[in-house]
Amino acid sequence: MQDFFNGLYQSFVKTFITDDRWLQLLNGLLVTVEITLFAAVIGVVIGFLIAIVRSTYDMNLSGRKCRSFGDYILKVVNFICNIYITVIRGTPVVIQLMIMYFIVFASSRDGIIAAIISFGINSGAYVAEIVRSGIMSIDKGQFEASRSLGFDYKSTMVHVIIPQAFKNILPALGNEFIVLVKETSVAGYVAIQDLTYVGNLIRSRTYEAFFPLIAVALIYLVIVLILTFLLKKLERRLRSSDH
Amino acid sequence: MTTDNVLIKVDNLCKSFDNVDVLKGINAEIHKGDVMVVIGASGSGKSTFLRCLNRLEEPTGGKIYFEGTDITDPSVNINIHRQKMGMVFQQFNLFPHMTVMKNLTLGPIKLLKKSKADAEKRAMELLERVGLADRATAYPSQLSGGQKQRIAIVRALCMDPDVMLFDEPTSALDPEMVGEVLEVMKQLAKEGMTMVVVTHEMGFAREVGTNVVFVDDGVIVEQGEPKEFFENPRNQRLKDFLSKVL
Repeated sequence: MQDFFNGLYQSFVKTFITDDRWLQLLNGLLVTVEITLFAAVIGVVIGFLIAIVRSTYDMNLSGRKCRSFGDYILKVVNFICNIYITVIRGTPVVIQLMIMYFIVFASSRDGIIAAIISFGINSGAYVAEIVRSGIMSIDKGQFEASRSLGFDYKSTMVHVIIPQAFKNILPALGNEFIVLVKETSVAGYVAIQDLTYVGNLIRSRTYEAFFPLIAVALIYLVIVLILTFLLKKLERRLRSSDH
Repeated sequence: MTTDNVLIKVDNLCKSFDNVDVLKGINAEIHKGDVMVVIGASGSGKSTFLRCLNRLEEPTGGKIYFEGTDITDPSVNINIHRQKMGMVFQQFNLFPHMTVMKNLTLGPIKLLKKSKADAEKRAMELLERVGLADRATAYPSQLSGGQKQRIAIVRALCMDPDVMLFDEPTSALDPEMVGEVLEVMKQLAKEGMTMVVVTHEMGFAREVGTNVVFVDDGVIVEQGEPKEFFENPRNQRLKDFLSKVL
């Protein structure tokens, strides 16, 4: 029994204390958080823009002929958005990441920037569909009421439709962020020292699998728990108008 | 009535949806202070007619002149004209994510560029007139149907419109709440507001209407002052319709 605990202690020390490995894990965690945060921002911006294009097309142009120059522009932009969503959702994120790193960023080989951009672009495609479903879920009467007051299409979106849509899609959006946190674990493919990469590195250096891998898993779990808590809080605040 | 106080003139208005002709040439004149009540069977086109007046439905033919401007002209900025045409919907369509006060002041603040204080003062006056001053901080989900519709009327009035369009304002209400909404509309008519009302409330049409219009199969088949209209209908379809609803 004594031997067992002694062995456990030795493994723990080797995993976390020797060579300041806890510091490596902490750095890995920071890299993961950095990539996730910036990618999420990019994803949300891309997602909302595309969702607005796509739902504008669905509500105004779908099934009818183009009448003005603006209609043709919208049709072309909508087509491009569709291609983007199809390609991004149709290919693995690891491949997208490697294309970004080895082809697009071939000269600079800045891994973290390449990762932020690829995960952002990837997330954007999913966020776009989530936001679009939110916009389409809002009753047509809301749109008409706003337009009848004299608001133009854009102001109607900003003041009336998006705020309501956002509330409806928050759970799905939260889910997308949770997926994104964990998806960044493939960043090691392009030599980025994120949390997963560091954990695996420690495993291979120390020949100890248990502590490094369980520790990494627990850290991801804690990140997701914190995220879930924050989203719940936001949801509760936005729900103040339902009684 | 003279022609210079014509507020809305509708000239051969047509509307078709996917080759189904809903409006087949409607002609009408609405003068300042008129309360035009539009009646007709469901599917007759009466709601479509009303919704064409502020171009919530795009007319496919004909012209609509509002305060002398042809608002069917594509180069017209319809948003400016809509500010002067209040609309009240069957389903109220209050903004559920805003308090009553926010619902009422959104348009005046953003579109009329009123200060928050001015907009709230005006909203409060109107709320008091419909007896809902104590509901200013409530959310729409906390209101009854009748209260929602009264708030919706106030929301339109806060924009200080020249005409109010009502699209079956009492059809989605429980029977005991119809009265309170009609009372507000009556009051409005008495104060001289120009109104176009699509409704099934024949009592309202008879009592408040200055002009009743019967729409059937996309055209106006009969119109007149309420007394003559209800007591001596000439058109056979109108006779049939009235015998069913009266």
